[in-house]
Amino acid sequence: MNALHRRQFLKAAGLSAAALPFLTGLPSLGLAAPARPRQRLVFMFSPNGTIPAAYWPDATGTDFQLKEIMSPLETFKNRMLVLNGVYNKVRGDGDSHMRGMSCLLTGIELFPGNIMGGGGAPAGWASGISIDQEIKNYLQSKDDTRTRFGSLEFGVGVTDRADPWTRMSYAGANKPIAPISDPYQMYEKLYGQLKDKENLQSVLDTVKGDLQKVGKLISAEDRRMLEEHQALVRQMEKEIADTKEQKLRAAPPTLGEGIADQNDNLPRLSRMQIDLLVNSFVNDMARVATLQFTKSVGMAKMNWLDIKDGHHSLSHEPDGNADAVAKLTKINKWFCGELAYLVQKLSTTPEPGGEGMMLDNTLIVWTNELGKGNSHTLDNIPFLLVGGAPGFQMGRSLKLEKVTHNRLHLALAHAMGHRLETFGKAALCDGGPLKLG
Amino acid sequence: MTPFVLQSRSTLPSPSAQRQGALAAWLLLSLWLSSTTHAASFSFFSRKPDGPATYRSQCAKCHGPAGEGVKGKYNDPLVGDWSIEKLTRYIAKTMPEDKPGSCTGPNAEAVSRYVHDTFYSREARARNKPARVELVRLTNRQHLLAVADLFRAPGEEPKISTGKGLQALTYKSRNMRREDKAPDRTDLKIDFDFGAKRPDWAGEGTNGFAIQWSGSVLADESGDYEFVVKTANGVRLWVNDDEKPLIDGSVSSFKGVEHTATLRLIGGRAYPLKMEFFKTSRDPLANVTLLWRPPHGAQQVIPARNLAPERAATTFIISTPFPADDSSVGYERGVSVSKEWDEAVTHVAIEVATYVARNLDRLTRSKPADKDRTAKVEAFCAELVTRAFRRPLTDEQKNLFVTLPLRSATKPEDGVKRVMLLTLKSPRFLYLGIESEHPDDFVVAERLSFGMWDSLPNSTLTKAATEGRLHTREQVTEQARRMLADSRSRGKMQYFLHRWLQMHHIEDLTKDQGLYPGFTPEIIGDLRTSLNLFLDDVVWSESSDYRRLLLEDDFFVNARLAKFYGIKTNAGEEFIRTELDPKQRSGVVTHPYLLAAFSYSKTSSPVHRGVFLTRNIVGRSLRPPPMAVAFKDGDFKPGMSMREKVTELTRPQACQSCHGVINPLGFSLENYDAVGRFREKDGNRTVDAAADYTTDDGAIVHFKGARDIAEFAVKSDHAHNAFIEQLFSQVVKQPMPAYGLDVLNQLHLSFVQSGYNIQKLLVDIVTVSALQGTGTPVSTPKKKT
Repeated sequence: MNALHRRQFLKAAGLSAAALPFLTGLPSLGLAAPARPRQRLVFMFSPNGTIPAAYWPDATGTDFQLKEIMSPLETFKNRMLVLNGVYNKVRGDGDSHMRGMSCLLTGIELFPGNIMGGGGAPAGWASGISIDQEIKNYLQSKDDTRTRFGSLEFGVGVTDRADPWTRMSYAGANKPIAPISDPYQMYEKLYGQLKDKENLQSVLDTVKGDLQKVGKLISAEDRRMLEEHQALVRQMEKEIADTKEQKLRAAPPTLGEGIADQNDNLPRLSRMQIDLLVNSFVNDMARVATLQFTKSVGMAKMNWLDIKDGHHSLSHEPDGNADAVAKLTKINKWFCGELAYLVQKLSTTPEPGGEGMMLDNTLIVWTNELGKGNSHTLDNIPFLLVGGAPGFQMGRSLKLEKVTHNRLHLALAHAMGHRLETFGKAALCDGGPLKLG
Repeated sequence: MTPFVLQSRSTLPSPSAQRQGALAAWLLLSLWLSSTTHAASFSFFSRKPDGPATYRSQCAKCHGPAGEGVKGKYNDPLVGDWSIEKLTRYIAKTMPEDKPGSCTGPNAEAVSRYVHDTFYSREARARNKPARVELVRLTNRQHLLAVADLFRAPGEEPKISTGKGLQALTYKSRNMRREDKAPDRTDLKIDFDFGAKRPDWAGEGTNGFAIQWSGSVLADESGDYEFVVKTANGVRLWVNDDEKPLIDGSVSSFKGVEHTATLRLIGGRAYPLKMEFFKTSRDPLANVTLLWRPPHGAQQVIPARNLAPERAATTFIISTPFPADDSSVGYERGVSVSKEWDEAVTHVAIEVATYVARNLDRLTRSKPADKDRTAKVEAFCAELVTRAFRRPLTDEQKNLFVTLPLRSATKPEDGVKRVMLLTLKSPRFLYLGIESEHPDDFVVAERLSFGMWDSLPNSTLTKAATEGRLHTREQVTEQARRMLADSRSRGKMQYFLHRWLQMHHIEDLTKDQGLYPGFTPEIIGDLRTSLNLFLDDVVWSESSDYRRLLLEDDFFVNARLAKFYGIKTNAGEEFIRTELDPKQRSGVVTHPYLLAAFSYSKTSSPVHRGVFLTRNIVGRSLRPPPMAVAFKDGDFKPGMSMREKVTELTRPQACQSCHGVINPLGFSLENYDAVGRFREKDGNRTVDAAADYTTDDGAIVHFKGARDIAEFAVKSDHAHNAFIEQLFSQVVKQPMPAYGLDVLNQLHLSFVQSGYNIQKLLVDIVTVSALQGTGTPVSTPKKKT
């Protein structure tokens, strides 16, 4: 990816494309009020299936009770849309975890490949783009929805290994996108330029003085070029001062120092990433985000919940193992708690340049690669939607008739203004976008 | 290639002047564009010839009082390289324009001598406007190389034996564990198709197999390299970065995946390369190929001559694009600054600062928790700033550039970033010869390294400067000679050669596929390689003989080229030297790459070829043509030869003063078609490559073909001088006359005495430029020739 960007970078016509962003500030500072409300979309992922009995509400419609796992969202029940009956019907190569993960957002088969899972044929990467990237590309193609990054891919405790279990976002066939698990790296990506600018500003005075000193060493004939050079430095100083006055709507969050990317820090890393995510939305750096907790077959050991077993091992335990069921419920509830933190933040942050709160225009999709851990089923994949988007009537629990998840992706695309007719495997799109209004 | 258009200048004269100008078009010299038709004022011809008076009364109104030109009349300054005799003949024959033949004999000679000696000739121009060594900033190439060498490990370069291929560690299972090892070996290239079976070396086994290659890859030219790995299995490739893979294809697809990634590399240098390949038990097939598409080349398996088993050190290469340098005088020079340039410089400074901050532990050999971290960071910064400024820091400078910025930031990473920003934006890094009013040994070291390498002095050179060992001419020459062995000198030499032969402009050599089937991108890429190999072979041989560049009759060919050009050779995929028919080939002017470059898509172009030969090989100056004339093949009667068409097109007297020189040279190459194949016929017509060439002194030389031009050039002082001047300006990037009016003669004498040794000439040139203004005489006592 890096090399690809580098090439585009070098090929960029003229120089301004390369040099300007840092000089004239961030392309989109979100200062002007947008023509229409900004619609945002977040996919949050947690792995290894759920405990259905502790997850799915019993009732359908608007009057339903949250079970244990969703209980952290109690205050946001009227902002929730629970979708039972959504199936990942993509078949083909790869075990259920692999297909669960790499077909989750792509809705299309994996290539045959060299990665052997716990069953099925060995497989490679997904053979198509994921819906988050598809929507991002659409938004970036339009002047009024283009943002600096378009999409941001956050990770929390994703292992540093590239395979179909660790990637859900794809820029295209065979083009997985690695989420950024290190909040400091994400911070650098989002705000590094500001810091560069600050550092640059701190040295320009010395540069000017140096040019003056050097000017005295050379002949009058040669001084002209140095004088022009000095004028350029002054100009740069002024430009930086000017752009500094365009303040960011929200200052970058202050991150705790030295939080290493390791298991026991997951709770802190999660909050840091969520803070950065919300901040990037306030500053309108992206309209689409993914937030990936660990990976399919993730083995987080949630010591902070007093659970010593690895998540994936636990998920294989039979339904009769009450201890395992209790622990898995706790684990999934913890993930829901992180979702609640995100929802809470968005619900209390005013929509920049608009009315209401950011949650009104942000739809979060919490999902999972499996319906249930010990059966590895791709039926009844947990799909919980929170927030708001055009065409989605929230505050409901629905039981759908074994619909494909491709149709949900179509509905999400339509809500974001991208009126796709099919997505992923076309045969799985019969019936068109789910009607969730 | 764009069609050859005789470009009109931006400031067009008025229509009437243009019409008159058309008559006098493209003259090396044109006088008296007078609108008065009276001839009465020529009565003074009866008096004693008075050059200045004649010029003032008759020439100045069109040519200006000092030959500077008059807008709307004759725009151009009256400058050129004709001798007084030739000028006299020309004036006698054509001037004044409204009454040719009225100024002849002693009168013509008097005005010609006046014009020649007052402002026309090179000597006159040098006298009137003494050239000087100007303050210059780094050119873009120098900037790129200097930043790269800022992080270069001190000491001599590791030996890299290209041509040997890569070291290969093989394993009998996909896990590259020691207990699974199969015998080590070297592979000349990576291009394997194992099919569905296990290769013999992998023995029996059920867990696949693996290979790990390592070594270096040598970039021939600077530019973007597209690396391509084709495989049905797992691969990872690292190039010029030991940590982050350029290509991570651990997850494979049975269908076979083509992984591509592009990397900017500096030519003439080697870069570390590592590749891992593994086949799992489930993969039905196993195959792997490592290819690249080099700049100006076609996609190909990376050949053995670009691979070496030893590992080179990594090179830091900036990715910031720069606005093009001024090259209006024929070579790139840093004589102006612009906002775009300043922004690029700043962007580079940020790129470098980010790199240093990220790699601070490795670069300072310390950890954040170390007690001596602060001291180590400070020492590292001081060393880097010293290297960037090419001289020891004073206490005040150390405080300003290192101590203060480090202390001004709360985090050490930011402090280091500030040091780097300050350093790379400082005029002490960006300009050359800042303290050259009294050049000391450090200035001499800087001139040596930028002359030989376009880059920073290395530790040996800095040491010599510190110890005061760059004082005498012998010491300086000795350093320059030592520096020849460094690969950076080859890079610089290639930079010059590509400009001399105009190869740096060549992008697309595609020809009409109906007329030249088989002239594929692969052939074009091979031709460039063939020419590069030839140039390197001649220049870096011991004799380094300029004459061989023009006279050799053997070229490097591989099987593919041999087949296309009908050459008998044993060559396979690799290039070998192959002798050709000396009647058909004579050095670079007959290399098919250049012949194809100076051709149209369907036909040869005697004008392109002739202009190239005139300017770059025989060393005559040409003015830009005053009007645009496009060559349109359809304008001519069918069946005419190219020679006939060009003759027809350039027949007007106005064209002839330049085309009289250009055409005979171009026609001498008519034995080569648009792809550089030798031919006897042009269409149905037998090729006539014989032509009479008029030298600058007016002598007539009969050329029968390409070899005659080459023979003529190697014996011509004019051609030698042109070669010396071009090398000088590409190397030093300052006007040669600024180093003394006698420099050219001195260099020429030495060039001839050395047997036209190009390496020696480079050393001489760099020595002259390094000692400028130091008080050390550069001239050697003249020997009798």
